[in-house]
Amino acid sequence: MHLSERDRALLDGAEGEAARQAMAALVQLAEAYDAPDMVDIGYAHVHAGMALYKGDVELIESVAGQGARMAVPVSTNIANADMGDWASTGAPDSLGKLQKRAEAAHRAMGSATSFTCTPYWAGHWPTWNMHIASIESGVTVFANSVLGARSNRDGFFATYAGITGRYPRFGLHLDENRRPTHRVQVTARPRGTADFTALGYAVGRAVTNGVPLIAGLDRRPDLDELDALGVGMATSGGVAMFVIPGVTPPFGPEADGAGLPEAEVDEGALAGIFGEFSTGDETGFDLVHLGCPHASFEEMKHYARLLEGRRVADGVEVWITTNRVVRQMAREAGLLAPMLAAGAKVVSDTCPISCHFACTCSPDPALGVEPPKIRTILVDSAKQAHYVRDMIQCPTLLTTSELAVESACTGRFHPRPRRND
Amino acid sequence: MTEGSRWSARALVRGLAEGPAMVSGTALSFLGDLDIRTGRVVGASSDLAGRVVAGRVLVLPETRGSAGAWRFLYQLKVHGTHPAALVLRTLPDPSVVQGAILSEVPVVMPSDAGFWDAIRDGEILRVDGDAACVAQNSNG
Repeated sequence: MHLSERDRALLDGAEGEAARQAMAALVQLAEAYDAPDMVDIGYAHVHAGMALYKGDVELIESVAGQGARMAVPVSTNIANADMGDWASTGAPDSLGKLQKRAEAAHRAMGSATSFTCTPYWAGHWPTWNMHIASIESGVTVFANSVLGARSNRDGFFATYAGITGRYPRFGLHLDENRRPTHRVQVTARPRGTADFTALGYAVGRAVTNGVPLIAGLDRRPDLDELDALGVGMATSGGVAMFVIPGVTPPFGPEADGAGLPEAEVDEGALAGIFGEFSTGDETGFDLVHLGCPHASFEEMKHYARLLEGRRVADGVEVWITTNRVVRQMAREAGLLAPMLAAGAKVVSDTCPISCHFACTCSPDPALGVEPPKIRTILVDSAKQAHYVRDMIQCPTLLTTSELAVESACTGRFHPRPRRND
Repeated sequence: MTEGSRWSARALVRGLAEGPAMVSGTALSFLGDLDIRTGRVVGASSDLAGRVVAGRVLVLPETRGSAGAWRFLYQLKVHGTHPAALVLRTLPDPSVVQGAILSEVPVVMPSDAGFWDAIRDGEILRVDGDAACVAQNSNG
């Protein structure tokens, strides 16, 4: 493969040991996928360092301790505790304090410590044709499909990309892989983010690792709906990019995907996803979770309106999860007050599946982490439902955002009605 | 298979490792199908369910996509329950390769189709991600 002069200098340690190791690892990745060369990246969304996984915060600390500095703008992915107020979620101090060490390590490297699955709502907004690296599959799909940036579904190596500003040219960094492979005809009429997560979930199942062209939507989805659509696909399948003609750069409205393998998502399929994730007892839920992926400012406005003047039912807890930046904006806009007055909690940096509720991680016994007994979690996102099932391993109830709030305030599950329009 | 057979492969992750082959006919997800602490396969959809991958040369038709695969592979390494090497039939998600590089687990894809007919569970395999080959250990 071709390496630039600077790539070779990095390999020789010209910019320090951390950058040398990062470049050596990126060269191995390049060789594995037969990449011809490396590209300059403009942004990276990197691993937080997760306190619930043994040795994981230490891994970030070791990179920072070698003197690593980020060469491009960097945001950090979701973490295992709300670092400003872990006690409100029942997380032990030992866990919160360990998680906080990752924040210090990222600050030393110059990363924006956003700790979120939706860094775009915190201002990280790569543009058309910018190469980026992302550890979060939801960020990857949003960047590729809505912003026209170029990203693979990465793991830890997003950190190496951030340190070097370089990434191997393969996968979705190449034009030839950024074309639709399937045509999905949507005859359902999704409305709101919960519907769009379910639509995405159905599409991801149909095309697995493909690039679906989405046809048949009766209007342009709003930004929150586009976000929801992508995370749904990235959850049920390995989808890293979708194409909506007239929305996804550079595909104009005339793109039709004629001749590609076809699939269809009708109202029955959409309702089926809600049914599949409604396995819990309809009066037996103890947590209602809103904000997966982390809520945008627009979604915070919506949740605030829904909760205004209401009161969460006894025995039910409500979590609204968002990132720190949006939480601060929401506080200053007076949106947190009605949520808190209703008895809801506003949580940042983490979410139910990412916090100490998960049973699939391996915390150091010294942390004293004990996942609480949860009967059922009611959610407004197919992504959260999928991972609650797999990682918290309890039943779920899935409905729209409006009906999730209604359920929270009445203590009784309000399922999403079938839409006939 | 004749003793001492050697098959050429595409090297995905460098390094040299040896261990008993654990051969699967089903896809495996590193996120969800494995218990980190024990290395035991807990995913019901895998034909390896109940078996322990620690120290084995894991021979898989494919890995199931998850962007979190790297973290679980690395966790297996942290807990000392990681497979010695991976032998794959199809190109995995970049996350798997990134996890394997981080965990120093060599990964190859045999280019010699004869491998897939010859390989038997439990045989000692030597995986060489530097020389791009996989070989039956002559003492196996």
